[in-house]
Amino acid sequence: MKLLYTLLIALSTFTLFSCSKETSTTQVNVMNNLLTNKNWYLDYSITEASNSTTPVVVKSYVGQATYFITYLKNGDTKDSDGITGTYTVELINGESQIHMQLKTSNSNPFEVIYNIISVGESNMVLSKVVTGPATKLYFTTK
Amino acid sequence: MGTANSLSYRFLSILILTIFVGSALHAQTLTKKQQDSAFLLQPGQERIRKIKKSLAKTFVNFTNNDLSLYGSLNLSKQKINDNGITAPINYLYNSLNNNSYEAGLSGGFRMDGMFKEKHPYSFSFGINRITVGNNYQNIYSLAPFIDDFTHFKADNVFTTLSIAAHYKKLLPVNDMNKYKFYAVIGPSFDYKISSISEENLINGAGNRVFINLDLGTEFDNKGYYILFAHYKLGNYISSATVPVQLNRFEIGMSI
Repeated sequence: MKLLYTLLIALSTFTLFSCSKETSTTQVNVMNNLLTNKNWYLDYSITEASNSTTPVVVKSYVGQATYFITYLKNGDTKDSDGITGTYTVELINGESQIHMQLKTSNSNPFEVIYNIISVGESNMVLSKVVTGPATKLYFTTK
Repeated sequence: MGTANSLSYRFLSILILTIFVGSALHAQTLTKKQQDSAFLLQPGQERIRKIKKSLAKTFVNFTNNDLSLYGSLNLSKQKINDNGITAPINYLYNSLNNNSYEAGLSGGFRMDGMFKEKHPYSFSFGINRITVGNNYQNIYSLAPFIDDFTHFKADNVFTTLSIAAHYKKLLPVNDMNKYKFYAVIGPSFDYKISSISEENLINGAGNRVFINLDLGTEFDNKGYYILFAHYKLGNYISSATVPVQLNRFEIGMSI
């Protein structure tokens, strides 16, 4: 009987400790895998109009093949305008963000932060973190 | 012909006699150490003897045990509720959701016996390669940009170890002395031993242990073999952000 109890206790302990193996980087890793090594084409952007109680949206249909951005596995990024730099995907206060350290073609450094609204295998929606009206950018892979 | 037969019999007799004498001689040539150890108490063997004795005492009411091997075909489907996922991730619904039963395989050991000489039961221990169809309960959209998507991608091929304890009720069908039909009910546990993908672990969704309620029928052909058909309704044993209901049909045979 003693042996049976020992087996039951061992089994229960094993079960409790083996329920979940999520780590702090799991979400970031999954988003990185979806994001990298693709050309993301900007389909269109939507900017909410400022100073309005009922927000009016200003849609800018960019159209594919005019602008795209690529996030590489090694942490580099480049876009079709020739802007290069590095990026990291971060989880800050529950918000998923892309932090980009960029340089213009004249080597002027600047930083851009996007909130990730949604990212998938072939669709991505980002929101530019700025003061004032928010701009949402809608990307697809071709 | 008769002479040849007689010669071969003589040859066989001599060969058997030689083997017998050889083994007897070998038995007499034990080393001093082997002779001593034959009289000593072996701690390992003693421990096994104690465990056997303890088990026999514990399971004194479990009699007529019959050990057999089993193999089965599984048809599985899982219902997935990804309401608890907060990560901003999308997977196209139509590429993941097939809402069908997919085929997998199981195999293992099974012990059939009687509890207190009147309640038939079976214990089984097996390994399962499960391929499962997915039925996602929630559809999201970011109109007009992304039509139908889910926030979660469940693993649809995994391996589990399972244990089951079934109570069997003999059904009054046919001649019960020849063929026995049973109704079967009982719990079973599945433990995922294959690695869980990162997509499946997101927001604490990953879980390894399923508890199942098993229902089914079995046909015993005079103890030569048992044919069985079970339905297993499974859920994660602990609360998860993505509750998954695993439905399985198991059709198999034990010998």
